[in-house]
Amino acid sequence: MSQPQLGPPPTCQSPEHTCGVSVVHEIIERYGGNPEMLIPMMQDIQAAEGYLPREHLRTLGRELGVPLSRIYGVATFYAAFRLQPKGKHTITLCMGTVCYLKGADQISAVIQDEFQVKPGGTSPDRKFTFAPVNCLGACALAPVMVVDGEYFGGLSASSAVDILQKIASSKKPSEAVAKADAKQKTAAQKNGRGSQNP
Amino acid sequence: MPTVTIDNQAFAAEVDETILQVAARNGVWIPTLCYHAALEPYASCRLCMVEIDRGGWWQMVTACNYPVRRDVTVRVESERAIRARRGVMRLLLARAPESPELRALASRLGVTQTDFPTVTEAEGNCILCGLCVRACEERIGTAAISLTGRGVERKVSAPFGEPSEECILCGSCAAVCPVGTIRLEVHGDEWELVPFGKKGPAQRCAACGAVLTAELVREALARRGPAAVQGILAGEELCARCKRKKLVGQLLAAGGSGAPSAPSER
Ligand code: SF4
Ligand code: FES
Repeated sequence: MSQPQLGPPPTCQSPEHTCGVSVVHEIIERYGGNPEMLIPMMQDIQAAEGYLPREHLRTLGRELGVPLSRIYGVATFYAAFRLQPKGKHTITLCMGTVCYLKGADQISAVIQDEFQVKPGGTSPDRKFTFAPVNCLGACALAPVMVVDGEYFGGLSASSAVDILQKIASSKKPSEAVAKADAKQKTAAQKNGRGSQNP
Repeated sequence: MPTVTIDNQAFAAEVDETILQVAARNGVWIPTLCYHAALEPYASCRLCMVEIDRGGWWQMVTACNYPVRRDVTVRVESERAIRARRGVMRLLLARAPESPELRALASRLGVTQTDFPTVTEAEGNCILCGLCVRACEERIGTAAISLTGRGVERKVSAPFGEPSEECILCGSCAAVCPVGTIRLEVHGDEWELVPFGKKGPAQRCAACGAVLTAELVREALARRGPAAVQGILAGEELCARCKRKKLVGQLLAAGGSGAPSAPSER
């Protein structure tokens, strides 16, 4: 595989270099400019920026001689890559069987409606990233969501929105929901380690 | 030279020819969808499945990318192979139930309906064969589209799901799509590649105004076409009919009485 020449400086007009040219150049050099290292390079871009900004991907493709379409194909194939910036808070909502039976889909619907966020997406105000997952392994707390690592169990559609609204208007989720049941949290942490006993 | 025996008929083959090539050359029909002679085999549709003799058992392989290395005995019309291909066709039919092309091929295989839940037009009507993607990348050299996402969300799309910046509206993807999902639509002076949303102006014959190609194709040829193409581009842009008229005129003027009876195409 031939090594690509680092091309002329890209035609980026922005003074802040939103094309990410320096970040991307450094990452390309880290891998000796080898296009076969595309995925590790993309991982590094995501580590540096928190997501895969479009202009970075364009720059990467141009410099490596890899079509943007292929990079986009890779970026959408792997669940670990994200094409949108992360929100300030991450909501992980369990959609597992038990949570589902206890109304997780309704909770999901109100979250989407209230914060204008799609599953896997980020709200327009960049406050929340919404990530429904197949199972959190905390069935005893069903229906359950995790916000920034903190468990909230026994939810209803309205209590979930309440909690999230408080989080949105405060700095830390723990401050916002200081009253959240301490017992539940301990149970959640135990369950969260992967034991699945009902 | 290896011998490929297909349903008890022996055919000579070259090493590394595929079973499909040997069959096609000898008039044996094996259904295909994701195969195109001008592109690398990709073996994604699984419609070309046949059985080969493994000495004691018969293995199912895809004929379009199975290279012949030594003598091989193939069954195309065995019960098991036919059943396998029909099963695949029922699955494909569920993905593109509205495609007349696919329905025609299905009935040729003896499949008239599918018991799998069908996807709707809105979800693509695409069998994910990848022909369009490969034509664009391998033959045109543009690579404007790719297969994106995974699982039920997999689909053909340009980067970020937007009209591609690289697409030149050549329409190769539309021409090669076996189920008619991609279309090049002409709205007056504007061309649109559906469903990718890429639009661009048409280029017209300098004499009669007939539509020739997309302006972007012309630009791409000017940028990367070979020398011979550059020569043609430098000349006057005429449609085939006007070119012929002009040539006849020139020949008549030059030849005087001895006018050629049939000026050749071009
Ligand atoms: S759009 Fe057509 S050519 Fe492209 S993958 Fe789908 S079925 Fe194949
Ligand atoms: S034609 Fe062989 S797998 Fe599609």
